[in-house]
Amino acid sequence: MAAALRGRAGALAFFAVAAAVPLAVRDQFFLDTLILILLWGALSAAWNVAGGYAGQVSLGHSAFFGIGAYSAALLSARYGQSPWIGMLIGMVLSVGAGLIIGYLSNRLRGPYFALSTIAFSQVLLIVASRWRGFTAGSEGIPVPFRPGFATLGLGHVAWAYLALALAALFYGIQVYLERSRVGYQLAGVREDEDAAEALGIPSRRLKVIAVTASAALTSVCGTLWAQYVGFVDPFYVFSVDLSIRFALNAIIGGLGTALGPWLGSILITALETYLRATFSGMKTGFAGIYLVIYGVALILVVRFVPEGLAGVAARLRARWTRAHA
Amino acid sequence: MLTLERVSKHFGGLTAVREVSLEVRAGDLLGIIGPNGAGKTTLFNVIAGYYRPDGGRVLLDGRDVAGQPPHAICRLGLTRTFQIVKPFGNLSVGDNVMIGALNRLRSVRAARVEAERVIETCGLTAQAGAPAKTLPVGLRKRLEVARALATRPRLLLLDEVMAGLNPAELAGIIELIRRLHADGLTLIVIEHIMAAMMRLAQRIVVLHHGETIAEGTPAEITRDRRVVDAYLGEEFVLAQA
Repeated sequence: MAAALRGRAGALAFFAVAAAVPLAVRDQFFLDTLILILLWGALSAAWNVAGGYAGQVSLGHSAFFGIGAYSAALLSARYGQSPWIGMLIGMVLSVGAGLIIGYLSNRLRGPYFALSTIAFSQVLLIVASRWRGFTAGSEGIPVPFRPGFATLGLGHVAWAYLALALAALFYGIQVYLERSRVGYQLAGVREDEDAAEALGIPSRRLKVIAVTASAALTSVCGTLWAQYVGFVDPFYVFSVDLSIRFALNAIIGGLGTALGPWLGSILITALETYLRATFSGMKTGFAGIYLVIYGVALILVVRFVPEGLAGVAARLRARWTRAHA
Repeated sequence: MLTLERVSKHFGGLTAVREVSLEVRAGDLLGIIGPNGAGKTTLFNVIAGYYRPDGGRVLLDGRDVAGQPPHAICRLGLTRTFQIVKPFGNLSVGDNVMIGALNRLRSVRAARVEAERVIETCGLTAQAGAPAKTLPVGLRKRLEVARALATRPRLLLLDEVMAGLNPAELAGIIELIRRLHADGLTLIVIEHIMAAMMRLAQRIVVLHHGETIAEGTPAEITRDRRVVDAYLGEEFVLAQA
């Protein structure tokens, strides 16, 4: 048990703090920030399953996010069904889409794969924004608020714990990927596909499975996000910005590390919230400031700490251990 | 165990391997030699499933495996190493070998135990915790062998695992190959170092321009006129005499 927890102290502390905050703080702005940190972190964790652990870097994951968001929103707005059912349908659709994208990852490598995922998300954007009869087109869909757990009409505290449960689950999935047979085999595929094949690892099948699982998890987050925010705008949910954000949190936090997605999310979400609060009073001109921040953050991390915040933490811990040995 | 029947492989207009036939029986240690570009590595790529042959059959235990993916062929008991080593650079030596052991083992714990054993056999125990990319070339070659061994092959294909080694490292890896062979492993070894080959191989196949130009015991090979002309050169024969 002690061995299993070693190196997980940071994660434990993070989840403990996240669990304690809603007990102490009732301020809605604060809780909203916490929920978004947990949700964006979970999204990056979902992305990490393909991009970090399997090395299949996608820049079109907003496709699955949008599928999850639309599935639940349309089902509850048009047919009055529970968003939980919408979540399931979104997952099924995303698995289908993930299989297609996963198959592409066997044909295309590196930037070509990333480009094709962008194209995929943009195709969905066009469908969602033009298919007026069903999706209401570019107007977007308001998600009806019906109080209760079955309809995901929850208060901020309940949302915080739901987001926390999701984050803990996704963290657990990543830990599984670090220690299980399939996880090690994926690491082999990521490092060198030919060598992995020579060792009996079915690299193509594993890549498809990783991308598909990642798609399904992203879709779940998309559903929850739509229910939380209450509105689905095709230009937002299928945007390239969003896909970049999933990747960015994971890269800044530490690619292929279990806690990294939330470390990146804390930094980016907090920055964004601060900027929105600071610059919201000003007129245009600053509207795109977050893009500049994304860019600067990415350059700084890649240049100075390519192993991400989680890597920095590990390095500091090692230094501390040596100094106190 | 392994039979090649008139196997050919072309790249565009270039014929890399032309109608090569050979037979490997259980317990054999077959050497393949030949000048650079003779088609040795291409032949390995065909046998291990990286290339589909353009003609001929590759029979493993009597079953045609041509066109099967490499991982399936590995599961059937045939594992190869790479001439240009392909370590999982960011993973530790222990994890590298353990991933090989997962070929036969479902549990990570059991694979770790197996990996430790193989690492010791290959003399890498001191480096087990180090990232593979930090190893010097001699030890990388050993890691390549260790990882392949961990898959528990019945037939192991070694592609120039001795190239670039110093004399001490060379002696060590020859000793390792001998021991594996003595323990019952069947091997095909591609090598340029003729002295090592003479000591190791029971039979040698000589490739030249993608064709088999000679096959026989090391002694027969060194007396073969065509082999001397194509590859060994007069000096080698004189040195042997």
